[in-house]
Amino acid sequence: MNQVLVMAIKDLRLLFRDKLGAFFIIGFPILMGIFFGMVMGGPSSGSDRAKMKIAIVDLDQSALSAKFISQLANNGSIELIETDLEPAKESVRKGQRLAMLVLTEGFGETAGIFWEKPPTIQIGVDPSRSAESAMLQGMILESIGQLAGQRMGDLSSMQDMVRKSREQLANDKSISSGNRLLINSFFSSLEGMTQSIEALQTDADDSSSSPVENGGFEFAKLESIDVSRKIDPASQAGQMKKIKSKWDISFPQSTMWGVLACAAGFAISIARERTQGTMMRLQIAPISQSGVLIGKALACFFSVMLVISFMVGLGLLLGMRPGSYPMLALAALCVASCFVGIMMVMSNLGKTEESVNGAGWAINMVMAMFGGAMIPVMFMPQFMKSLSILSPVKWGILAMEGAIWREFSLSEMMLPCGILLGIGIAGIAIGTSMLNRE
Amino acid sequence: MGNSIAEVSALKKSFGDIDAVNGLSFAIQQGETLGLLGPNGAGKTTVISLLVGLLKPDTGSVSIGNSSCAEAGDPTLTATRRLLGVAPQALSIYETMSAQENLDFFGRLYGLSGKKLRDRVNWCLDFAQLQDRAKSYAGTFSGGMKRRLNIAVALIHEPAILLLDEPTVGVDPQSRNHIFESIEALRERGMTILYTTHYMEEAERLCDRVAIVDHGKLLALSSVNDLIKQYGGASMVTGEFAELPKEIELPGELTGKLIRFASNTPLQDVAALSAQGVAFQTLNIARPNLENVFLTLTGRSLRDG
Repeated sequence: MNQVLVMAIKDLRLLFRDKLGAFFIIGFPILMGIFFGMVMGGPSSGSDRAKMKIAIVDLDQSALSAKFISQLANNGSIELIETDLEPAKESVRKGQRLAMLVLTEGFGETAGIFWEKPPTIQIGVDPSRSAESAMLQGMILESIGQLAGQRMGDLSSMQDMVRKSREQLANDKSISSGNRLLINSFFSSLEGMTQSIEALQTDADDSSSSPVENGGFEFAKLESIDVSRKIDPASQAGQMKKIKSKWDISFPQSTMWGVLACAAGFAISIARERTQGTMMRLQIAPISQSGVLIGKALACFFSVMLVISFMVGLGLLLGMRPGSYPMLALAALCVASCFVGIMMVMSNLGKTEESVNGAGWAINMVMAMFGGAMIPVMFMPQFMKSLSILSPVKWGILAMEGAIWREFSLSEMMLPCGILLGIGIAGIAIGTSMLNRE
Repeated sequence: MGNSIAEVSALKKSFGDIDAVNGLSFAIQQGETLGLLGPNGAGKTTVISLLVGLLKPDTGSVSIGNSSCAEAGDPTLTATRRLLGVAPQALSIYETMSAQENLDFFGRLYGLSGKKLRDRVNWCLDFAQLQDRAKSYAGTFSGGMKRRLNIAVALIHEPAILLLDEPTVGVDPQSRNHIFESIEALRERGMTILYTTHYMEEAERLCDRVAIVDHGKLLALSSVNDLIKQYGGASMVTGEFAELPKEIELPGELTGKLIRFASNTPLQDVAALSAQGVAFQTLNIARPNLENVFLTLTGRSLRDG
């Protein structure tokens, strides 16, 4: 063990001595992390190619709310699941659903009537997937618009609505006589229009595409729901937890970039030992081959942990408030172990520093692309989305999100952490075997 | 095994169709410097790799250690490796570590620590004459200094056998001479050394016995004098004269006023010619050397290798 530590200390010493090398292994990954943190934390746009999984809670239970749900479900980009409030929140918090919608009581009474107070639709979006939230809001408003068109096309419903409105108008003393006259005149015209409602229905599709907030009225009022934390608003801790920054959300993705760069940089050091001839001297020293490799792995592990720690420190300075530090430490340990294993395999992919570097980055890019560190998984075709489960990056992000804001329990952390550790162990075994065979 | 500290027996190692080592057998005696002399590609470095356990032989065996050593046997065993100090042909030092740090790191790998480690590091720095550059990065050293450090690293743990694989390749004459002196100092201390080279001058100067190898085969193994006596042939006498007496029978070939002949007794033959009136203006008697031995054994020069 002493010799393994001697190896690890030597590698770390060499790492920090080579200023430029240290920059590319520690500093550059951090810069990349910061860059991607900024990118991931900000809004973005794009077109959806796969279904968004949405949980919907119908507290209204009216015919109109059912109609709205049915219209939203007919949208080819959304997969709806009706559930209760708490399970819906939980599913978004755990990343199982992109968002949750709550149709509040009274939704059916005013939905689609543009002169009435708009119905409230509460929306809670996975904070790490802000890119899709704007798109979802657009789809909700589109469905509400369609609902308005259909409602106006329903003759009896329309006449009923006008009758009720006339009654309200008659009872409301605050309306001036001039305005009263104007509105009554409008209602009369509306009743006349019911004769040609069918013609209007044929145009419903066109009307639905118009922006609902144009013209000074709303079809629906969208309210945000915080799904990221279970907060007791009365507690001080609850208040503290409300303090968030984009780093709270983007930290996992940005850290993964740092980790990827660190692993790729470290993989080169084994190739360098080969090219500069010192590997031979290590191989004939009274330390086992595995001892040499474990020493290397240990140095890489410390470097990855250093990168993660630095990122955590930076995140904290910028306002990030991890939900659980022990879970974050667990996630960091598992991510570091996983990428040490990946580094070991990478280091054997080429004979020279250049080939290892090239191969390492190629693998990193693929892992990042499929794992959601580059573009949200959301925007991928279904088959690519399915493939993302093969990327360690996805599991690394999930483990860190679980610790920071998804509030995973220990048992919930077991899946991503177990997979990360499994990959790490397999990588170390494969890397060692490849080096021994060589 | 007798007095031998390492032994290889019927060693064979092939890489594809190429037989790098082909049935090699020899023993290294305690305290001797054994040279492996052969052209590039003769299989010398492969022998070193087999001796240290970096390669596994196809057939044959390698055994390290003797009764005076605590452990003996397989070079892949950690204990056996402690008996070996290796200075590979390619420099194998960390250029971004100082001479002292290189020695310190490898010393720790061999289990040294504390005062023992400090003493050994100082001894090695003295040996390599690098005390004044102890804290400089190895990358700033000249080629000769790096070579000396490369050897010093091999000595950090006081190995029983020092394996030097072409230690003077790419070194300037001054540094080469320094390396020779260092190795001679080690010989005087009774260090057992295996020295591979393709320079016959080095083998003649440094080695007690020399094994001539070519195409992975051992062609001859003996002391330098014995090899020359056995395979070196006659001395070559070349003389230039002003005038040649009439009716004199000359040995060898005559080209103008230059006579050249081979002789096992060159001094007597030259004296006899002088007595017959041959007045030499210049005279050169070339004693046979390992180059001649190699030529005799292989039909080609060492340099042709």
